[in-house]
Amino acid sequence: MGHGHHIEIKQEQYTFSPKTKRFTIILMVLGLVLAGIGIANLNNDSHSTATEHKTEANANVHDSHGKDASAHGDHAAAASHDEPAEHGNVPNEQFGPRAEYHSLNKPATTRIFANLLVAGYFFLMISLAALFWYAIQYVANAGWSAAIKRVPEAVMTFIPVPLIVILVVLFLDKNNIYHWAHYEHLHLKPEDAGYDKILDGKSGFLNSTLLFAFPAILVTIWYLLSRKLRSLSIQEDSASKGDVSFFKKSIRYSATFAVIFGFTISIIVWLLIMSVDSHWYSTIFGIYNFITHWVSAITIMAIIILYLKKEGYFGIVTAEHMHDLGKFMFAFTVFWAYVWLSQYLLIWYAQIPEEMYYYQIRWEEYHYNFIINFALCFCVPFLGLLMRSAKRNPVVMTVIGIILILGHYHDVWFMVFPGVFGPGMQIGLLEIGTFLFFSGVFLFWVFTALTKRGLIAVNHPYLEESVYHDTGV
Amino acid sequence: MGILDKNLSLRNRNKMLVGVWEDEDSLVAATSELVHNGVKIHDVYTPYPVHGLDRIIGVRRSKLARVAFFCAMTGFTLVTTMIWYMYVHDWPMNIGNKPVRFTPSWAPVMFEGTVLCTAFGMAFFFFWRNRLVHGIKNELLDDRQTDDRSIITVELTDNTDQNSILETMKKHNPVELREFHNGVQTTI
Repeated sequence: MGHGHHIEIKQEQYTFSPKTKRFTIILMVLGLVLAGIGIANLNNDSHSTATEHKTEANANVHDSHGKDASAHGDHAAAASHDEPAEHGNVPNEQFGPRAEYHSLNKPATTRIFANLLVAGYFFLMISLAALFWYAIQYVANAGWSAAIKRVPEAVMTFIPVPLIVILVVLFLDKNNIYHWAHYEHLHLKPEDAGYDKILDGKSGFLNSTLLFAFPAILVTIWYLLSRKLRSLSIQEDSASKGDVSFFKKSIRYSATFAVIFGFTISIIVWLLIMSVDSHWYSTIFGIYNFITHWVSAITIMAIIILYLKKEGYFGIVTAEHMHDLGKFMFAFTVFWAYVWLSQYLLIWYAQIPEEMYYYQIRWEEYHYNFIINFALCFCVPFLGLLMRSAKRNPVVMTVIGIILILGHYHDVWFMVFPGVFGPGMQIGLLEIGTFLFFSGVFLFWVFTALTKRGLIAVNHPYLEESVYHDTGV
Repeated sequence: MGILDKNLSLRNRNKMLVGVWEDEDSLVAATSELVHNGVKIHDVYTPYPVHGLDRIIGVRRSKLARVAFFCAMTGFTLVTTMIWYMYVHDWPMNIGNKPVRFTPSWAPVMFEGTVLCTAFGMAFFFFWRNRLVHGIKNELLDDRQTDDRSIITVELTDNTDQNSILETMKKHNPVELREFHNGVQTTI
């Protein structure tokens, strides 16, 4: 390589400029203020205290399970009378307890905790996806990405923060978020009224012990591997030129991580998000969630790199690298739509009652969210990033990227909220505030992590290949 | 061979200067210097992609992407019409009591049809554009240009200064320099 023109590779040291710091702090403060207004409105709406709600709720659900098992005509009576034909299709056996669970007067705080779960989960998965992206670069022996590898390295340091948020949320409010956790709490026997065979059958996996154990243990293992990869990368910086031992070790650790992560990521997805709709399951849900966060992570990395370039760093990162990141975003946008449609199409076609209600509530009660979800996650980025010139244009990439991230955050919100609260939820100040606050914390953390080491992995064996990376005319 | 542009064939062109290189870096250096001196290069043949060469000789962006888009739109329209005609207009079928018009079940077929037309369209266009149609005679200037030799060709016209071009080429250690005219090569 190195013909035509010569590019000098210099180490760069990032300093967290006051302007950037101010921006992240404004995001956090604005988020807190908006969330605070949202919470204040919640308190104004509810007329009784949370504890009263809770006891009432428990009694209610116990009751409902009883009613459901014995006299399920009650539900039919409560539901629409004018369309008797529908009763053959609508699965009251499945729908009954769930509908009752939703109609519980949940404490106002549940909405706060559900928001924290969404935000924590989104940023946890983004950090993990960045780590996975980093590992994939090593496993695939990729050269082009060597110049930007410090960005995923910084993003993956964020892993423990959302994990702690999630564990606290689960500890404080799991019974109101997860139907099965609430059910578990009732300790029903088969002969009891309100016994739910499906939830009981799932209790070997969906139980409180595993709900805490799996995320805590698995994420800790992944985080430790990320620490190891990070330390190998920093050791490489001070090693002698041409020493590939750290690179080879990184490949081994990356491969280990990729295998462990590939087999275990679905467990986290099932426990934290899919079990919100406790009777429902979808075999493609794990990959669907992974892709949602994978494309978001790549987008966030692209935006961070563009921002750093704008601040005058990353002189060796060219439009070629951004073009490839844009291709990643575009390709996985299409893949997201593919998985999204696969999940929807099979459930739509099979029309099996216990599968169908997931989409029934989302299509009928959250019609606009359903359409917005598809528009933001697929239509906008697909058309926006289709052209080659769009992928090489920083402004287009940033604007489409932000839309894409908002779309995928809404996607996670859309997986959780209809499941927890049933019909009638909408995005409010609390949701926007939570997202802004977490974005601020995330960016602050990532930019701080970027200052800890040089921006360029100067001794990476493929750095030169990356510097002269060219996607052609 | 009616579809082929006869002018594209090397036999039907003016006299050519052919420089053969075995080293990629010298080839690129020679090409850059020729371009820098204002020589119009006919083409550079390499057995594998050489990074940066396309920019040096000013290759324009391939139109394959536009062909792909056109083929995709064609395929999408064809397949959508096909489903509509077969499944809605001509012979509607009740499958699982699902509606027939514009349902999610159309999506996989629309997608596959689009991809199929795009793939075939691009492949045929690529073959046609690169004159890889059946029955074509190869026009290798050197038997090893698909193996381990790279070739620069410069077409000579009235305005070109043959000596200065040869001078420049010689500076960068070519393996061989030849002339090519009417299908006959002579070593210089």
